[in-house]
Amino acid sequence: MRPAYIWKVLRKDLALGPRSPIFLWAIVLPFALTLVLQVAFGTLFDPEPRLGIVDEGDSEMTAKIEAIEGIKLAMLDDGDELRRQVESNDLDAGLIIPEGFDEELKAQRKPDLSFFVGGESYASNRLILTVIAMDMVREVQGGEPVVNVETVDLGKASLPMSMRMVPVIVFYALVIAGLFVPGASIVEEKEQGTLTAMLVTPVKVGDVLVAKWVLAVLFAALMAIVSLLLNGAMGPNWPEVIAVVLVASALSGMLGIVVGVVAKDSAILFGIVKGLGIFLFAPAIFYVFPEWPQWIAKLFPLYWIIEPIWQVSVMGESIATVWMELLIALGITVALAVAAALLTRRMQRQMAGQ
Amino acid sequence: MMTGPGISVDGLRYSYGDLEAVKGISFEVQPGEILGFLGPNGAGKSTTIKMLTGQAMPKSGVAKVLGIDVTSGNEDFQARIGVCFEEKNLYLNMSAKENLTFFASLFGISDLDTDAVLRRVGLAGRANDRVKTYSKGMRQRMMIARAFINSPDVLFLDEPTDGLDPVTAASIRTTIREEADRGAAVLLTTHDMFEADELSDRVAFINNGEIVAIDTPENLKLKYGTRAVKVRLRDGDGVREETLPLDDGSHAARLAELASSPDLLTMHTEEATLEQIFIQLTGRGLEG
Repeated sequence: MRPAYIWKVLRKDLALGPRSPIFLWAIVLPFALTLVLQVAFGTLFDPEPRLGIVDEGDSEMTAKIEAIEGIKLAMLDDGDELRRQVESNDLDAGLIIPEGFDEELKAQRKPDLSFFVGGESYASNRLILTVIAMDMVREVQGGEPVVNVETVDLGKASLPMSMRMVPVIVFYALVIAGLFVPGASIVEEKEQGTLTAMLVTPVKVGDVLVAKWVLAVLFAALMAIVSLLLNGAMGPNWPEVIAVVLVASALSGMLGIVVGVVAKDSAILFGIVKGLGIFLFAPAIFYVFPEWPQWIAKLFPLYWIIEPIWQVSVMGESIATVWMELLIALGITVALAVAAALLTRRMQRQMAGQ
Repeated sequence: MMTGPGISVDGLRYSYGDLEAVKGISFEVQPGEILGFLGPNGAGKSTTIKMLTGQAMPKSGVAKVLGIDVTSGNEDFQARIGVCFEEKNLYLNMSAKENLTFFASLFGISDLDTDAVLRRVGLAGRANDRVKTYSKGMRQRMMIARAFINSPDVLFLDEPTDGLDPVTAASIRTTIREEADRGAAVLLTTHDMFEADELSDRVAFINNGEIVAIDTPENLKLKYGTRAVKVRLRDGDGVREETLPLDDGSHAARLAELASSPDLLTMHTEEATLEQIFIQLTGRGLEG
């Protein structure tokens, strides 16, 4: 490995990358997939109820509403501004709590409470906010509920579908940026003869492949992190998430190098990717269907990179809990590197026309 | 500065499976010399270049470039060679300037005057255009420019003027001659006999993987060709031609007679072309 030559080839590939449709596709894909899957399963067009409050005193109601999860709260100083925002649908509802409201309420004097509801807001949001407002009034008043409500959860408690789709999106980011981009780049260099042109200069085939692998690792890691961020799945341990994503990118990048070395031309490359598709994709499906026997997912190589990402990002676990998976992923990466080195000799014989 | 031959080949062999493409060829190219490899497609010209540039490993024989055995694993010679491939293998999505700068960087050249290089091959003003917008001829000139960027001691030029218009081809031949005059050893493969004749200090005829003759174009013509005079005479309402060989001197009287004939229209000396000699030696043409 000669860093100076690796850097020269890497710099060239960085300059060429944005001119390649596959490179651009790898950038667009996480955004497109997130949009599609969030529309189908997620919350992109089902935002949290938005409530504005003008608290003219220091009401307990405000603090209680602030403590409720799943409501987007905006504090304003001016009642007219609150009304304007509700009218323009910037807020679903608005509440003006007058000074001394809590004291009046506790003294059973039925104070006035202005509650504005936007005509264009979702009916569900209006209902949620109205019920919350009434419930908070009762809590401040200190009264007992007039009925006992028994809540029964139907169905197994699980993560929302939008969250279970995260491995699918991350998988695609890793496979397209980490596998397909370097694979296609190697094949293109072979088809256009530019690899041959490089190899009659002092640069060696190992320098070229390492440069492409490094680019694949960085690019795949970036796109995987972007995918996690877009889906709100980065979790609190972001340094550990980055570490896990880098291991995953190392494996997918090396797989891309092997595929690129093996494929003689674009047709064979696409054939290999299509053939490998389900084999690679399988572990991601198991996260969408958690009721399936999860041990089957472990039979597929990319399980060992998807599972650590899932645990450390979405589930918020420590990297220490997935050390075995990471070790196996690194072992697979090393095995692929050895395979790439052996297959490179065959590729050079092919290029010489043997 | 080179002291020994730029290229030295002895008994070099190469096979594609069972097909022996190069059958024990031997030759040398000295500094400042242009050796033209003349032969039809499939004769073994490009395969020889592949072995000498480190792309293919010879089956047997010795091949040295700048004194370094190309089979030894020592690839230091690659820093001092320039290669113009038959296939136009440039980065199409990069500009001419980017292509040259990148390849120059692989030779450790960080201050290449790309404008000067491009001006030399007639591409001044197109430095920032992507190569994919270039015509076939312009791409070929870029190939030549790239081969020259490291001022190589040995140049391998595989069909450098193939498919070019006569003006561009002539300009590229001039540039190649300048490189040889600078001191580069040049191995030029071509199936264009005119190019081989005009450019080469020596010519090697290669056919079916074997060198069937190697010498200066003049010596080859003297050795294998026949000199003659072609005379055209009026013959009633038509024209007849008569060819008189000059080598044996037995036609001197007839030649004098025709020269003084009132029916004489034209008289031209003729010498064998390299292609005719190639056909004479191999029984096949150069375009085959």
